[in-house]
Amino acid sequence: MNARYGKDVVFVGISVDINLDRLDTFIKDKGISWAQLGDGKEFSGPIPMLYRPNGTPTLYVLDRAGKIVKRLDSAEKIEETVQPLLSP
Amino acid sequence: MAQRLFFTSLFVGAFLGSGHPALAQTPPLDAAAAAVAVAEIRQTIDTAWKEVQAYDKAGGTPGAADHPALKWHATLWTYREQHPGTQAAARATADGIRLLVRGQFWEQAHARIGAVGVDDTAWERLSAAIYEEGSTRKDFAYTIATLSKVAETTTIPTIKSAVLLDIGRARRRLGDLAAAKESFEASRSAAPGSASSEEADRVLYEITRLSVGLPAPTFSAKGRNGKTVDLATFRGRPVVLVFWATT
Repeated sequence: MNARYGKDVVFVGISVDINLDRLDTFIKDKGISWAQLGDGKEFSGPIPMLYRPNGTPTLYVLDRAGKIVKRLDSAEKIEETVQPLLSP
Repeated sequence: MAQRLFFTSLFVGAFLGSGHPALAQTPPLDAAAAAVAVAEIRQTIDTAWKEVQAYDKAGGTPGAADHPALKWHATLWTYREQHPGTQAAARATADGIRLLVRGQFWEQAHARIGAVGVDDTAWERLSAAIYEEGSTRKDFAYTIATLSKVAETTTIPTIKSAVLLDIGRARRRLGDLAAAKESFEASRSAAPGSASSEEADRVLYEITRLSVGLPAPTFSAKGRNGKTVDLATFRGRPVVLVFWATT
């Protein structure tokens, strides 16, 4: 997803992992190049508290103006949600 | 301190309960005895739900005469009648009716619901069962009418908060966000600190801060690679926030 849309769409990962060493190793091993946040506080960190994910994965799609377009609980429908936001 | 005492009594209750089932027959004289009764009724309720789940899984028909919900409802209702006003009876009442709803025995369920007084603490749990009924039948008319009557007449704040929460959930499902918000706000202020009040607060946050079309809450934080990620700087491009975990 990031490889295909990375230029036009910003992906931000917010990990709810407790073990940050494990998270950092995972990011490195998988060669994940998009922005990754994580504070080891699981769902009670400041960003999860703002977005209240019920579990993982939870995705929020925001439009160009920063407004919430959709909340998704799987990556399945991400393409069809993002696609219409790209047309100028 | 009060909370610690409560857990201690629960533990003692469970311990006593394991060796002396006869204790449950005596009326609860103190917190420990009440905890024994609650632990025992919870066990009965667990067994009932497991049987109902097995029945559903085996392809059983809702509303059928051999549905285990009927048998277990009868057991729990008898318990309610024999132990009026107890915490355990409140659980028996609520789950007894939830079982009828799950089995789609609507008429029987409504008759029982009509027999539960507005100040019966069973409402704290029963309320959600009536929401579930509306959700299953895709018709919230009965749900809203029944719960509204309780909300208007009960004198117990936690009951009021619980039923208002479920009225709010029903109205939200009907797409009436303004009315839903009103119910959630009333639920929140009816019994501050109660489970329903906190849930109402959580839902209100979702509606007022995370609804489609609202500006996404902004944040700025240091990424795992040390670079700062500031959401506001991405204006002009769509953004996908991915909450995830390695496992």
